[in-house]
Amino acid sequence: MTLFQAIVVLVVLAPGLVFALFALLWLLGWTPGERLLAWVTGVTFSACSSGVAALIWKLASGSNITVSLGSWFTVDTYHFPLVLVVDRLSVPFLALAAVLSGLIGQFSATYLHRESGFLRFFLLLHLFAFGSLLAFAAGSFDLLAAGWEIVGITSVLLIGFFHQRRAPVENGLYVFGIYRACDIGLIVGIFAMHHWAGTASFAVGFPSLTGGQAVIVSLLLLLAASGKAAQVPFSGWLPRAMEGPTPSSAIFYGAISIHAGAYLLLRAQPLLAQSLLASTLVILIGATTAIHGTIVGRASADAKTSLAYATLTQVGIIFIEIGFGWRWLAVAHILGNATVRTMQYLRAPSMLHDYHQMHSAVGGQLSATGTQIEEMLPEKFQLWLYRWAFDRGHLDTILERWLIAPLLHTSTYLSRRNRTGTPSTIAVRPADAPQAPIARVARRGE
Amino acid sequence: MSVPGWLFRAPALTAASVSASWLAAIVLSIYRRQSRVIGSLAAFLSAIASAALVWKAPQGESLYQTLMLLFSCVTFGAIVLLPRRDSEAGTITGLLVLLGSTLLAYSTGNLLVLLGAWVLSVIPFLWTTGVHSRKWRPMVALLSSSLAIALAIGFMVARTGVFSISHLKGQSPGGTVAFALLIVAAIFRKGIIPTQAWVADASESGSLVPTALLLNGHFGALLVVKLIVPLFPEMDRLFPVLSYLAIATAVFVAIRALAEKSPRRLLALLALSQSACILSGLESRTPEGITGALVHWVVVTVSMVGLFGILRLLEVRFGENLSASRHWGLAEHAPRLAVSFAILGLTLVGLPGTLGFCSQDLLISGTLTTHPLVGLLLPIATAMNAVSFFRLFSRLFLGQRRTGFTVMADALPRERWVLAGIVLFMVVGGLFPSAIVIEHSSGIEVNEAARTFGNPQPVRPTCANNLNMQSLLAKSSGKASIAAVQLKK
Repeated sequence: MTLFQAIVVLVVLAPGLVFALFALLWLLGWTPGERLLAWVTGVTFSACSSGVAALIWKLASGSNITVSLGSWFTVDTYHFPLVLVVDRLSVPFLALAAVLSGLIGQFSATYLHRESGFLRFFLLLHLFAFGSLLAFAAGSFDLLAAGWEIVGITSVLLIGFFHQRRAPVENGLYVFGIYRACDIGLIVGIFAMHHWAGTASFAVGFPSLTGGQAVIVSLLLLLAASGKAAQVPFSGWLPRAMEGPTPSSAIFYGAISIHAGAYLLLRAQPLLAQSLLASTLVILIGATTAIHGTIVGRASADAKTSLAYATLTQVGIIFIEIGFGWRWLAVAHILGNATVRTMQYLRAPSMLHDYHQMHSAVGGQLSATGTQIEEMLPEKFQLWLYRWAFDRGHLDTILERWLIAPLLHTSTYLSRRNRTGTPSTIAVRPADAPQAPIARVARRGE
Repeated sequence: MSVPGWLFRAPALTAASVSASWLAAIVLSIYRRQSRVIGSLAAFLSAIASAALVWKAPQGESLYQTLMLLFSCVTFGAIVLLPRRDSEAGTITGLLVLLGSTLLAYSTGNLLVLLGAWVLSVIPFLWTTGVHSRKWRPMVALLSSSLAIALAIGFMVARTGVFSISHLKGQSPGGTVAFALLIVAAIFRKGIIPTQAWVADASESGSLVPTALLLNGHFGALLVVKLIVPLFPEMDRLFPVLSYLAIATAVFVAIRALAEKSPRRLLALLALSQSACILSGLESRTPEGITGALVHWVVVTVSMVGLFGILRLLEVRFGENLSASRHWGLAEHAPRLAVSFAILGLTLVGLPGTLGFCSQDLLISGTLTTHPLVGLLLPIATAMNAVSFFRLFSRLFLGQRRTGFTVMADALPRERWVLAGIVLFMVVGGLFPSAIVIEHSSGIEVNEAARTFGNPQPVRPTCANNLNMQSLLAKSSGKASIAAVQLKK
């Protein structure tokens, strides 16, 4: 193994090792102090960032860096390849993940000082960084899926960070459901690649698929990417995710997690290029999401939700760029959007404070923001549009009415049928979940 | 002083692992004191003997020995984890009888011994819970499965006069009737549709841990691996039915769990849905599917015993009226139990970095190859199970902290060490699956099973002519042309 290959492995593994060590020690009864945690976090991500800088330098002067660590497991002819690849596509994302995780760590050391979940936040931050670095450095879709799942679960656990309140917990559950449902696309897509091409590795060349196969796999990957990137019709989870602490919102929904879907599509670009249907669908979904995001964002009452929809609009545009095959424009757009949004999210709490201070300093005379473009529409249409935007495009209602409620009704019916065999419980009323959909509970909690 | 060599022979070690638990059960039924110490010691001795069996087994032939070691270790952990309220002599005697009979069932190559072990494994549950319970389904299901296997073995022995399983391989002893009875026994014991209701009912009363061990002996899957697959290769056209029934169970029960309020029933439904996938993998006819099923067997066994154990600890601390219809906020009181619960549950549904991820990966890969519909439904069932599990976790552990409890202890040291051990096994097993689990869950037995169904190379039933063999392979495998070429050679 060369020096740069070792650096790739260390950059990916370092946050994971820190997580594993502290988690095990805590499970056995030892709780580290805040100062130690902040110091270890700083050192870890400084090292990762330096490592990524070295990789960029190497990449500028040479070819891609590929690290083959053999197979995770092998059964007969099937094997799970452990291949890491640092190329011109993955290195910007690696840099983004390493640098922003370090910045968020330093910011959170102060922001979450004496918060009861301080250790939990930092453990999840390290796990998230490990998952995202693994997903971006993966040389195969199998390994990418492993990192992808880790990012998903840490995201959900951080949404429920303030777990004493009901709304974050229920919103975390909702997001988890959407993630899991959409991840089916990634899992089945990967196995379809294995089935048809014999591999899901892209380290030495993309799996070769026929036209029809490429369409199916692209659509499955698009499902996974749309879920992770909160594209229409799955956009409803993004404002719910704002229940988490601001630093986690910044790195997840301003920077890394929200753009992971776009990264997946960029990785699958050769497949998209083969499939006109999938490319068109990517553009359509992106355009719909961009329009949806900009309209709904205008009716959002709080700063974080407005920022979330602003991010969503940009990610929609990034999807359009990917659909048209403008790969490097999309990468540049992602880097710019992620950096600016992270800064905006981190600034949001103090900005509100500053605004209120300034507002009272000038005697409540701060000037209005100016004319809005929607004021040019007829008043009746404005009202309708406002209602539509206020209910976030009715996307949650549609999902609940047509997907969640039927599933829960079926489950309740089966539960009732099952319990009729036990006389003592005949009178027990079945589950009341359909009468109290998660969305309503969540909205009450906002 | 040298140790006699016969002590380290397989029969002696098998006898030691089985008899240690039964002897301890007899001692406990008379002495009735220090039950946890005696029980854990016996389970530990069984585990050591099983470990020696694994060590002694030839390369690639350690499947049953590994399962013995797994079940001994899980029983040891369960006895240590049992809350004091449940650790009376009766319960631990039942656990030891169950341990001995399960080890006997795993290790035996004799039909009558298998039948005896099957019946014995049911008795502790019926004795302690089933007879007193108002729920009739568990008793009916367990007795029906025992009756079905007794009739099947009766048919086989009456037709052939042979008791040895290895001598009956590939001969379809007892014909279609025996085969159908074995399928019925497996369906009843595993809770496959339409007999799925008993599993949730069984979890509703009494101490949870013995029920968890009863469910996680996976006798239904054992029957498939030990008798149905090797003895009836000519019935291969009927095997997909079992696979479809299993995946239908996984999906049906996953939907059923979505609105379940009782934590006990919900965990039982998750256990049933996930363990039904084992049958689909075993029937997939591919080495990765069969290995995935066996690794999943390990995952389901370990994580479900851990999850049921944690739920019982919560019930003992916070009352037995826990429900998934409201938030209990128990993570504030018991953060280590919460974390262990989360890790074990997420392992069950395939969290990357744990053993569950490997088993899901292999299972889906294997089943997609032979049954695309099953392979497609499997991740859907798993996704629904993940949502149900996360709902249970968030309702039990998250939400506003409740202050009405008088006892608020987190995991006690003995519980902490057992849970840390289980979590560590799942994580280390997930990071290094080949070295720890897959090596023992694949190899000769798995390849043999895969060959019996689908791999074209070495199936050579003595009574079958080449023409029949060709058509059998052509039917049972997607590689019919390769099979034909090889057989002509």
